Amino acid sequence: MPKVLIANRGEIAVRVIRACRELGLGTVAIYSECDRGALHVRLADEAWPIGPSPAAESYLGIDKIVAVARRSGAALVHPGYGFLAENAAFARACRDAGVTFVGPRPEAIARMGSKTAARQAAIAAGVPVVPGTESPLPDDAPETVLAAEATRIGFPLVVKAVAGGGGKGMRTVEGPADLIAAVRIARSEAKAAFGDAAVYLERRLVAPRHIEIQLLGDEHGTVVPFVERECSIQRRHQKVVEESPSLAIGQETRRAMAECAEKVAASVGYTNAGTIEFLVDRDERFYFLEMNTRLQVEHPVTEMVTGVDLVVWQLRIALGERLTVARTQALTPRAHAIECRVYAEDPDRGFMPSPGLVRAIAVPGGPGVRDDRGVTAGFEVPVFYDSMISKLVVWGETRAEAVRRLARALDEYRVLGVRTTLPFFRWLVEQPEFREGRFDTTYLDRVLVERRGRPFRAPTPADESHASVAVALAAWLRAHRAAAGARTDETSVWRRTARREALQ
Amino acid sequence: MTFEIDIGERTRIVSIEGVGATGPDGGQFRATIDGEAHDVSVRPTDLGLSLVFADGRSIDVAATETASGEWFVQLPHVDLTAVVDRRRRDRSRPGIASAAGVQRITAPMPGRVVRVLVKVGDVVQVRQALVVIEAMKMENELASPKAGTVKEVPASEGQSVEAGRLLVVVE
Repeated sequence: MPKVLIANRGEIAVRVIRACRELGLGTVAIYSECDRGALHVRLADEAWPIGPSPAAESYLGIDKIVAVARRSGAALVHPGYGFLAENAAFARACRDAGVTFVGPRPEAIARMGSKTAARQAAIAAGVPVVPGTESPLPDDAPETVLAAEATRIGFPLVVKAVAGGGGKGMRTVEGPADLIAAVRIARSEAKAAFGDAAVYLERRLVAPRHIEIQLLGDEHGTVVPFVERECSIQRRHQKVVEESPSLAIGQETRRAMAECAEKVAASVGYTNAGTIEFLVDRDERFYFLEMNTRLQVEHPVTEMVTGVDLVVWQLRIALGERLTVARTQALTPRAHAIECRVYAEDPDRGFMPSPGLVRAIAVPGGPGVRDDRGVTAGFEVPVFYDSMISKLVVWGETRAEAVRRLARALDEYRVLGVRTTLPFFRWLVEQPEFREGRFDTTYLDRVLVERRGRPFRAPTPADESHASVAVALAAWLRAHRAAAGARTDETSVWRRTARREALQ
Repeated sequence: MTFEIDIGERTRIVSIEGVGATGPDGGQFRATIDGEAHDVSVRPTDLGLSLVFADGRSIDVAATETASGEWFVQLPHVDLTAVVDRRRRDRSRPGIASAAGVQRITAPMPGRVVRVLVKVGDVVQVRQALVVIEAMKMENELASPKAGTVKEVPASEGQSVEAGRLLVVVE
């Protein structure tokens, strides 16, 4: 039975372990110091320490992880998402060590990981791209060259890091006056975040949607595109809610986007799971944005509407199997799925991280609810990594039913000990724009600014009086528990004494 | 037992009285809020308390005391923060400067101080950034809750801080 080393932590490590179990594959977890008690360590067949808590000294340590793969005898390495998932050097190191990397070839990662090279691949495949610079702007590009490029592309535009992701190294420029400063800031952010100061310019579309196409490709030349995911609910360029299908596109656009995604992937000989992101304007015109050469956080919504287990297929493809997912199944959504990323952040304080001990957790269940979680009661959400607690995914026959089910599941969800984004989601599902699907990538940031930090759900006087009663009762019970504890101790002391005397 | 409970702007006086057999495992209680009595059946749960009021209303509530002595209360649809017997607590801890004028800016989470933007004697505006803390790969600006003068800056750049560590005092 081949073993799979999971080079990740948190919910995605748990997700991959589950897929391995279902395929009868052995599982090897790795963990940093603070993750000794984490769920992925507890669930795996084997678990190996890889160093101190900071990611740079543990989950980003290519040599350490490859060494554990060798020592444990793992035949495959699944990188999850984040950390080393899009690191071509890691994929290469696995290959050199004779371990199968569950993902695309290192050459494909390197090519599609560079935003300008990926744009060129899209252009070569005949896929529309957002107007922009065709190659990175050199460090010493004179201001006149920058200005000329910007004028050619047109304002508003976005300065983006070539190595970018997650909104880092990205600046919007409204007019010529802000251009030079924005380029300077984007360069310094990109240098700090990715070690690469290269940037390029791209036209900013007005009120676009972010819609993406999941793909699977096998080692035998088959590429299958999936129904789209709608990811326009974003806060500072980070996805917050994802769903499938999108309300914004019709069957014809869906087919056209899937075809384009497939062409790009096929043109670079892409294998395993990947996603092509597009921006879509109000007239359903779509433009290639970038390719993510890994499993996405939001993959479960695709699984929920197609019935295809993407992680199981990643592993089967890596083992050399032929992809047998029917194209019609992959492209025909069965009803609707929505995912919320639940983070240990305080939404009422600007989404400030709220790490700490999770004292108790009540997870929603019932029909159409899936919760992918890496955190348990008694686990301390560490300060060192992304603070995701869970991905709550719901399925409904219609979008309206899925939204109602999501509201119900959010009300059932309780996490004690840390602040979470649950109150924010409970607010969001009540918003008419969300309920009716009228939003684009600018929606959430805009309404958050308009709210000026007002709490997402202000307690009513009735809530306050219930809370007062609850706190008073909790304080009463605690006082009586303490008193009862003291009595029990006295009793046992008395009993011990009595027993001792009886023995004498 | 009587408690003074602060939620938001309001203080409520709540007295709790057992009716019949009560103990650490709950029972039947009479809770009186500002003079109005409510009969409530109480049972501890894995999360907190299950309350069933005399009119049939059932409320599953989680109430946890935080390190700072506040209670974090989670009702089915909304979260609140409560303080129990604030006046008594403040009298017993005279060093706490919750009084008017002085504002103590503390680290809201464990992390690393990446930038200190003020020094002692600086005049600051309300919402002006004072310190930037990095935690979970995110930089978070801590802003002044009031306009005033910086009195103390115990924070230094590069320093690792635990939650609750004093960073800046503004008066």
